[in-house]
Amino acid sequence: MGLGDRQVALAQFLAEASDAEQVEIARIALLPGGAIQENWGIDANFEGGRLAGQQRLVLRTDALTGVPSSLGRLEEFAVLRAAFSAGVTVPQPLFACDDAAVVGKPFLVMRRVAGSAAGRPITLDPSLEAVRSALAERLGRELARLQTIRPPRADLAFLSPYDGPAGQIAEFRAYLDRHPNPRPVLEWALRWAETHRPDPLPPVLCHRDFRTGNYLLDGIKLSAILDWEFAGWGDPDEDIGWFCCKGWRFGRLDREAGGIADRRHFYRGYEAASGRQLDPERVKFWEVYANIRWAVISMQQSDRYLIGGARSLSTAITGRRATECELELLSLLDPDGAAKQAAHA
Amino acid sequence: MRDLPTSLELLALAHELLRDELVPLLPPERRRDAHLIATAMAIAAREVAGEGWQGEIEQALGDFYGEVGKGDLARFAADLRNGAFETSPSRAAAARAILWRLTIEKLREGNPQFLAANGLSDAGRQGQ
Repeated sequence: MGLGDRQVALAQFLAEASDAEQVEIARIALLPGGAIQENWGIDANFEGGRLAGQQRLVLRTDALTGVPSSLGRLEEFAVLRAAFSAGVTVPQPLFACDDAAVVGKPFLVMRRVAGSAAGRPITLDPSLEAVRSALAERLGRELARLQTIRPPRADLAFLSPYDGPAGQIAEFRAYLDRHPNPRPVLEWALRWAETHRPDPLPPVLCHRDFRTGNYLLDGIKLSAILDWEFAGWGDPDEDIGWFCCKGWRFGRLDREAGGIADRRHFYRGYEAASGRQLDPERVKFWEVYANIRWAVISMQQSDRYLIGGARSLSTAITGRRATECELELLSLLDPDGAAKQAAHA
Repeated sequence: MRDLPTSLELLALAHELLRDELVPLLPPERRRDAHLIATAMAIAAREVAGEGWQGEIEQALGDFYGEVGKGDLARFAADLRNGAFETSPSRAAAARAILWRLTIEKLREGNPQFLAANGLSDAGRQGQ
């Protein structure tokens, strides 16, 4: 869909939603990235109303093909609003709309925040060297703030109740059962996860894609945490494990906190803000889980070509990354084997 | 009977042409696509050159199950799901050795840079 064809309806929606007399859209362009969602940058002038003046906005809507388990845009809007109210650094959510007459599918509108989320510049740019530890600590604090959102919440009643990782383990296995190629490493790791489930903690709101590549840096400053489409109730350590998962270190495998710093900086920020000491064994479980989940998501990306027929090299090739996760699973769960392999390398 | 140069040599030359001469001419926003094309070509070249390991894994699975000929990867996966080897440390260790070999060989074709970044560029080529 080209939003350019929908400018009149969109301008009218923005005017009504903000009590403006009129909205003039000066520029509308698809922003880079977003395999699952489309993000459109909008420069608009609001005459009167709550947003009077020039505004830089983002309209977020579904891409042609999504992946299972992502929230709808109205639900994502509710999550974003809850995070914003809790003091998490997110773009201010403004409007949501499910009237197909406006742009053809549901969408949300938020303020456009300056900055770049590209992973490799964040992990590799020498000019960020001095601030990476502080950034990791800040992200730990942000995560703790997010986790102040706990069930029950009437505004988030659409989120499924959380009953531990067993259900997700069963879903991963069901996915593997449907997949034509056996994945013995994933089966082995899932068996470990099934037999090493940690004692439960009270559920919190999890971002479920909290990682380098999903936050914006404006210069050296954290300007926004993005992409809330996978959020849901979950274990407080799930986002910790995902953030530290090797798949999100962007060329700096040695920096275990998102490719930006040692874990202790990230942990310190989290522990100070949450008042909860992290248990390495719990985090290990969730890091194993993260690698299993990322492997399955990678394979689902390739399924968009294999099953869905999407003619995209970028998505088709992503399934290859599942084997990277499998190597990490072997390293995490068989450290003696890892040492033996390294000795032979 | 095929003509020379081989398809692998042609792929290598095409890869060099793309990487060294065409990528620098592209606008920055399309360079990632060109790198993806180069990656896909490199995977294809390594897979064509590296067919032998799959037979070796099947043979290792056959040996693991005490069978003559090829072992079955699906059976192995199902047994791992059920924890079939957990009561025997030696069987569990032998199963893990096959998992390591399988994973390293797949990465040697799919992403050798990742293998090298994990200090495993030549793992499995000796002492296995």
